[in-house]
Amino acid sequence: MTAMQEREEIAAKLLAFIRNSFLAGDPQGELTGDTPLLALGILNSLNTATLIAYTQEEFGVKVPLHDVSPENFKSVDSLSSMVHERRSTADA
Amino acid sequence: MDFDPSPEQRQRAASIRTAAGGLPRPERGTPAGRDLWEAAGKIGVTGLCLPADCGGGGLGALDTALALEAFRAGGADTGHSFGIAAHLLACGTVLAEHAHEPVRAELLRGLAAGTTIAANAMTEDEAGSDLSRLATTAVADGDSYVLNGVKSFVSNGPLADVVVTYAVTSPEAGYLGLSVFAVRTGSPGFRAGPALDKAGLAGCAAARVEFAGCRVPRSHLIGSEGQGSAIFQGSMAWERACLPAIYLGAMQEQLDQCLAHCRQRRQFGRRIGDFQAVAHRLATMRRRLESSRLLLYRACWLIDRDSPGAGEAVALAKVAVTEAAIANGVDAARLSGAQGYLAGAGVGSHLQDAVPLHIFSGTTDIQQEIIARGMGL
Repeated sequence: MTAMQEREEIAAKLLAFIRNSFLAGDPQGELTGDTPLLALGILNSLNTATLIAYTQEEFGVKVPLHDVSPENFKSVDSLSSMVHERRSTADA
Repeated sequence: MDFDPSPEQRQRAASIRTAAGGLPRPERGTPAGRDLWEAAGKIGVTGLCLPADCGGGGLGALDTALALEAFRAGGADTGHSFGIAAHLLACGTVLAEHAHEPVRAELLRGLAAGTTIAANAMTEDEAGSDLSRLATTAVADGDSYVLNGVKSFVSNGPLADVVVTYAVTSPEAGYLGLSVFAVRTGSPGFRAGPALDKAGLAGCAAARVEFAGCRVPRSHLIGSEGQGSAIFQGSMAWERACLPAIYLGAMQEQLDQCLAHCRQRRQFGRRIGDFQAVAHRLATMRRRLESSRLLLYRACWLIDRDSPGAGEAVALAKVAVTEAAIANGVDAARLSGAQGYLAGAGVGSHLQDAVPLHIFSGTTDIQQEIIARGMGL
């Protein structure tokens, strides 16, 4: 699997999780990879904690405090990149 | 699985318990003053989990909880114990783990000694559980940040020397747009209001605090910009786990008093403890105390192991202690009869001090939500 395919797979899982957990299934299909999760208030304190727990369990990566930043959590795309990078680092 | 405290833990708890028994208590209805804070500092309670290189005890979460429980069980005032726990857990842990030198060392030495009192300022009138509604702002300006806003229900606020303050630095980043600052209370533009007239926890003064163009040196930014929310969640894990330990100490004292009363008081020619209804009430009080104690110890044990399951365990423990402390408070009132209802008897204050457990450090409703989400709901 190429790096791009891995990132897309991570993004697809994150999108599905956020749709089902925070957006009542997102019936209008509005959530995309670049939807601003923080600016739209999709990520509040509870949802952020839930997303971090999911990310750690699903992808086997640790999300330390310095990674919980607006840059990493601003969208599914940015979060997927962070997760992919942490997995690659762990594998290296 | 080993449920026995180590000899070191037993000895520390015994020595704190004995020392707490010798401390004066604040007068009824009044907050603990600096003399009591410094007395608590002398027995090490104000620095339990702060780093040893700054004068603290260097303890983990479980040892800190055991010590706080012993402090309260030994006779320390619940409100004062609460204020110390907030100072230590919501402020001290933040400064110890994230403040930059030399601010870290400078403040922590005083915090550990009890000569510098810390307060945590997060809650606002419109931002309780929902931190994304925070309105206090911090804007970088040269070598400083300028803070504007009002914080409500700041425990230790009227007495504090430093306020660990959360403010919005990047509004577009929503919940993750917060940063945290160590604000000296002598800073121009800072003002603490009068002590709030609360229904309980009188030994800990709380106030609104205002930041009106309050200038804070850049060196007093804790961590980096945008880390405020994550830092806060880390401090809340400590506070939610360890602070309720003071209520374990309070419940133990209350149960001991109820047992003594029920062994001594006679009605219908018998000790009231000989009536099954009374004996079973005491058994239920003990079961609530011991089961919530086990959950709290386990939550602290998981924090010390940096376990991913710690958040749910902490939520379970906080809810259990809350429900136990309030239910036991009501049962203690029933066992004490009319004498216990008199102001000054202590029965009412146990209950009044316990009720805010439902509110501070994350409400019970939020803890239940964390538990529910942990089950995939």
